[in-house]
Amino acid sequence: MTKFSAAVFKLVLMMIAGLLAACGSAPVARQPLAIEQARAADRDARKALGEGELQFAQQQFARALALQRSLDDTAAAATSMINLATVTHRLHDDAEALTWLDGILLEQEGIYPQQAKLAAAFRKAVILTDLARLAEADSALQSAEKLCAGQCALSAGIGALRARLLLLNGDAEGALILAQRVSKQEKSDKAERANAVRIVAAAEEKLARPAPALQHYLEALEMDKALGLGVRIGEDLNGMARVSAQLGMDREATEYARRAVLANGSQSGQLP
Amino acid sequence: MTLFDDKDARFRNLFGKAAVFVLFAVVGIGAVFVWSGVKKGAFTATSPIYFVADSGQDLNEGMPVKFSGFKIGKLNTLALDEQGHVQVEVGIETKYLKLIRQDAVMSLKKEGVIGDGILEISRGAEGKPVLAAGDKVRFERASGLEQAVVDVKNRILPLLDDIHQTLQDPDGDVRQTLKNLRELSAGMRVTQQRLDSVLKKADANLDHDVEPMLRSLKKSAANAESLTGRLDYQLPELLKKADTSMEALRAATQTINDAVQHTAPQLPAMIDETRDTLGKSRKLIGDTQQTLDTLNSHWPLKRDVQPETGPVRMDSHD
Repeated sequence: MTKFSAAVFKLVLMMIAGLLAACGSAPVARQPLAIEQARAADRDARKALGEGELQFAQQQFARALALQRSLDDTAAAATSMINLATVTHRLHDDAEALTWLDGILLEQEGIYPQQAKLAAAFRKAVILTDLARLAEADSALQSAEKLCAGQCALSAGIGALRARLLLLNGDAEGALILAQRVSKQEKSDKAERANAVRIVAAAEEKLARPAPALQHYLEALEMDKALGLGVRIGEDLNGMARVSAQLGMDREATEYARRAVLANGSQSGQLP
Repeated sequence: MTLFDDKDARFRNLFGKAAVFVLFAVVGIGAVFVWSGVKKGAFTATSPIYFVADSGQDLNEGMPVKFSGFKIGKLNTLALDEQGHVQVEVGIETKYLKLIRQDAVMSLKKEGVIGDGILEISRGAEGKPVLAAGDKVRFERASGLEQAVVDVKNRILPLLDDIHQTLQDPDGDVRQTLKNLRELSAGMRVTQQRLDSVLKKADANLDHDVEPMLRSLKKSAANAESLTGRLDYQLPELLKKADTSMEALRAATQTINDAVQHTAPQLPAMIDETRDTLGKSRKLIGDTQQTLDTLNSHWPLKRDVQPETGPVRMDSHD
């Protein structure tokens, strides 16, 4: 046997030995059936949500919740309730979504973790803002701010929502300052930064400053395109069309408006 | 390029050794082919048996022929003759022909409720001659689930129509009986009111109004006589009609019972088989999931990504 053959032989032996060693890793220990079922339901629900199968996701989250409650896993149950609220909100049943969140927020015995209460308060504020129930949204957001104390993972979202509420309540200056602060937080969530930039643009528009508003709408559009958020791309384009018209850029305004119509139409399933 | 030293003693007669190795491989492959042929019945002597079917529906070339649950042959050919009938040839292993008589019947059945179709040949009468190659046998289609459902439907629908008609017909027995009963009830109520009135008057005016009381009693007696006359006239008729209605209902019940009895023997087998199939499917899914879980837990298929556990994403603008 030549040296070359011997080297190849040794190499193959080493590879086989390495593969055998890797395959010898200990298998994941099996959990009791109910725990496995709860995890499977949660996993299926998340997968369905990712694929846009909202009804199935709702069913599976409800199944996971029932199993988690039977296992006295209150933390996981709270997460499932928040997830159910989120899915229900996406199904446009906001009353039901708020009921799920209130199930956590109004629980007097303190069985749910603070993190779950924070997430529930924040999401309730978002839903109420969408429903234009601004006073109630403000109250829920205050609860979230109190629980977060500026140091939680949701702080950027809370800041962006506070800016949005200020703008909706007519305080464009306050909204501008707060949204600018959120948009400059490099470490915060990209979608929240895009939201903040959009609020900056809207505040500038409200303050009758169309040129910087257009710049910020463009920036928000780029960010939303990178994130692939269709509905918000439509909002950005609509804002760009409005401020372009204010700037006398009629041709651009028409183009942006047309693109917004196409983007929004695609979201609602209207093709072509 | 020479990799091996020809002078090495181990490589002497290398061609011969390689030839022996190749020969063994060829012999092995040949043996596998022969074994497969034996298993598939390629070397088994078969005899052709014929039958005529009304249509070729559910008959396929290659479908098995079974006898007492064992496969003894298969359907060879299907052909349409000049009369539009289907001429079918099946090949039956010659060694089994002695078990079958000439009056045997070839039945087309389903293996279970939703299984594949099979041909099953019966044994035939003991006194008849043994079936020979080239003989013809009688063919029939066994009634399957669909036929049973159609039979039940055909029996139950007319019954429901009859019951509906009996109940809805204003001149029918049931309506007439109810009408008569209603009239009788009204008559009885009037009588009761009158008797009450009489008793009240008798009670209040026992000392002063004996005569009116007697008149009232006379009238009441007349009413009672009239009522008795009506009852004498109507009751036999009512009883007769009620009896007729009961007989009609009894006949309907018997027909439904017959239909259910006709279907009932098949139901436990169907349910057992469906339950068995569901159990097997569930076990298969469970096994597959377990296999996937096991594979996922091993390198290189192991996924290092931990499953997501927190709330699903929702931002301030959702």
